[in-house]
Amino acid sequence: MLSRAARSLYRLGFLIERTENIARILDVNSRMSVEQEVFSELDVWSPMLEITHNREGFEERFGEVCAVNVVRLLLADSENPYSVRACIIEAREIARTAREMLSEELWLHINRFYLQMEHELGSGNLHRWHDFSENVHLFCNAFHGLRQNTMVRGDAWQFMRMGVALERAQMTQRILQIKYHLLLPSTHDVGSPLDMHQWQALLRSVSGYEAYRRLYKAKIEPAKVIKLLLLNPGFPRSLHFGIREVSLALREIGMCNEDQHRLYRDTEQFLDDLRGGAAGEDIISMGLHQYLQSVDTRCHMLGMQVHKAFFDTVTVSLEDDRERCFTIQINQQQQSGNTIFPHPLQKELCA
Amino acid sequence: MFDRTDAAPFDEAFGPDGRVRPEYAAAIDYFKKQGVQGIDHMHQSADLAMLNQGVTFTVYSDSRGTEKIFPFDLMPRLITAHEWDQIECGIVQRVTALNLFLEDIYHEQKILRSGLIPPSQILGSSLYCREMSGLNPIGGVHVQIAGIDLIRNQNGEHMVLEDNLRCPSGVSYVIENRLVSNRIMPELLGSYRVRPVSQYPQMLYEAMNSFSQSDKSTVAVLTPGVYNSAYFEHTFLASQMGAELVEGADLLVNNDKLYMKTTRGLKRIDVLYLRLDTEFIDPLVFRPDSLLGVPGLMHVYRAGNVTLANAPGNGVADDKSLYAYTPDIIRFYLGEEPILPIVPTYLGSRPADLKYMLNHLPELVVKPTDASGGYGLVVGSHASKQELAECSQRLKANPGHYVAQPIQQLSTHPSFVEQEDKQAFCSRHIDLRPFAICGADGDVKVLSGGLTRVALKRGSLVVNSSQGGGSKDTWVLYPDKNGIASGVSHA
Repeated sequence: MLSRAARSLYRLGFLIERTENIARILDVNSRMSVEQEVFSELDVWSPMLEITHNREGFEERFGEVCAVNVVRLLLADSENPYSVRACIIEAREIARTAREMLSEELWLHINRFYLQMEHELGSGNLHRWHDFSENVHLFCNAFHGLRQNTMVRGDAWQFMRMGVALERAQMTQRILQIKYHLLLPSTHDVGSPLDMHQWQALLRSVSGYEAYRRLYKAKIEPAKVIKLLLLNPGFPRSLHFGIREVSLALREIGMCNEDQHRLYRDTEQFLDDLRGGAAGEDIISMGLHQYLQSVDTRCHMLGMQVHKAFFDTVTVSLEDDRERCFTIQINQQQQSGNTIFPHPLQKELCA
Repeated sequence: MFDRTDAAPFDEAFGPDGRVRPEYAAAIDYFKKQGVQGIDHMHQSADLAMLNQGVTFTVYSDSRGTEKIFPFDLMPRLITAHEWDQIECGIVQRVTALNLFLEDIYHEQKILRSGLIPPSQILGSSLYCREMSGLNPIGGVHVQIAGIDLIRNQNGEHMVLEDNLRCPSGVSYVIENRLVSNRIMPELLGSYRVRPVSQYPQMLYEAMNSFSQSDKSTVAVLTPGVYNSAYFEHTFLASQMGAELVEGADLLVNNDKLYMKTTRGLKRIDVLYLRLDTEFIDPLVFRPDSLLGVPGLMHVYRAGNVTLANAPGNGVADDKSLYAYTPDIIRFYLGEEPILPIVPTYLGSRPADLKYMLNHLPELVVKPTDASGGYGLVVGSHASKQELAECSQRLKANPGHYVAQPIQQLSTHPSFVEQEDKQAFCSRHIDLRPFAICGADGDVKVLSGGLTRVALKRGSLVVNSSQGGGSKDTWVLYPDKNGIASGVSHA
């Protein structure tokens, strides 16, 4: 499919997933903040700003780090790329430009939610943000349902799937990082009811609480939570699941140039590490925080490779004087809005 | 509920004696039954449906651009089978003749040799595209898609107001309006025998495909991008046709072939539906500062490796001064009398016409030949003495730059508006833009329907969306079973 369209659909999937994750992060924090009354020194909002890259300059813009202000930033601030509103505005704009690639139902779903959101947030009233956040969950889940039910499994679908999967993989490990940032009042509290409560809130925020109980029964052990969220191949929000989705999407799309093959190899390698237990050992030897950071980097690299392999370059097949066929990747000058292409192409490239 | 104070001499729904025309009886009964509140409610549902569908155009009043819906008037405009026969034949005749005319002026120029049209009129026009001369589009077809603007005068005659042979827009509204009608008032729609319009994308695709030599051709729609006010229509047509929607940056030219950049490499394009003015399509040939087009596109076209629809250079056939010659063009190429009359037009470039214009300014509309959208237009009856004097000065100074037409009484149609603080169906001026498509065999097909635009402002003759215009669903009726061409089913 058209590289520009592929980029749009990838980005659309990515944005919807990010929207959902922002709502989930808010969710985990508001669940964790329940005990803030008891442990007044517990700062639940700062870690959240940390993982959404919003910590810097927050005070200058919003003042005190507190629930109201953080919610405003993450839900309603259209200037903040890490807010629900900005993501939905962009997603809707992309859907508008890629409308011919989407099913009618999917487009209507996005546009309706956008109009409803602008109507609700336009008033600046955030009293009912819990309701709104819940609507975001519903919207995103319905989006995935419509995507599954109304779209042909063609390239458009696969690129969207890839955007969703990669962002989900990355965000699940970020949500885990909240727990790391959220220091307990003292080391005595490790394993305390508070600690347990936090793990439970975290599980709930990724819809993993029921899954956890089914797999490991009621007792919450951090090692098992980590295993579920990172390594379980069957849990739809786990890192493993996400990376496998990327790999499956790539296989369906097919590879036709070197960067695409490399991307696929790297994805498979990542998947192997997650599958083969190497990751489990890494988590122990590196420590959770270091491990999560390395995963973050790896996901980020995959994202860059996707751009390079599919959106920023185009593959050209050429024939030389002896009628030997070869392919070559050339950069697209997307930014300029126009391509000035050497003519005739052949001589220029073979020289 | 029906206020006829502003009705023109010819009203579509009511005869001169105030009686309802037979084909409108069922519609008027229906709306009377709904009551003002019911209609208001229906209107809101219609607007919401349009908004959710994203059937909008962009108004650039703030930085992000506000999206507005093109106001939709519930009361459909009805066209009987008998009336439509004449419109359809007239448009087929007109588009056929204009295609022959364009092929001629870019080749042998027989019509110029015959002396029917002064050569300066064509060759001196800034719209004459020298890059097209000697070029052979498949089938000699220059106009694949046309939108012909019609008005109805005081006698109820349909007349051609303007031809749009470059990139006529509005057809998406024709289809969307019908969808909304079907949703909001299915009973009324079902009680008439209305010809469908939803087959348009297929008609368009078949026509586009007929220009390709290969069986597996790729058709693409070239859009200037999401910021264009007609972007909705571009995505609509692309998705409905199953064509690719491309921007200039998605395309490249290599070895005189046109390609689009895909994730699997380059893919050849056979037919390109241009939704971009000629001057922007190729910076190597036309405007060098255009970032919207494709460098080298005209080379591909000249090499016969792509079909451009519409062909570049059609502007010379739809400009205001050529309009006066269109009846002669029809007679010259087809040997037939024009089926649809044009509004009598006086050309400043003809001395006799100029004299008439100067003597009859208060009865005329004076238009500059090169402007569109009502810019620079002087309506004699509405102008002050000073304005008329200035107009006459300008005319004398540069007569070739102006045309004039007698002021026309556009027909009116009941339209649901708020007037004097109450909502009612008031008479508002309307026009009609039917759409025609021409395939490689030169056969012109007209979509049985069209965009009826309505000037919602009281007394206004301007139907443009930017000036408070709206649209109506246009129902072209099948002939009645009894041969009475009313189209109302008596079941």
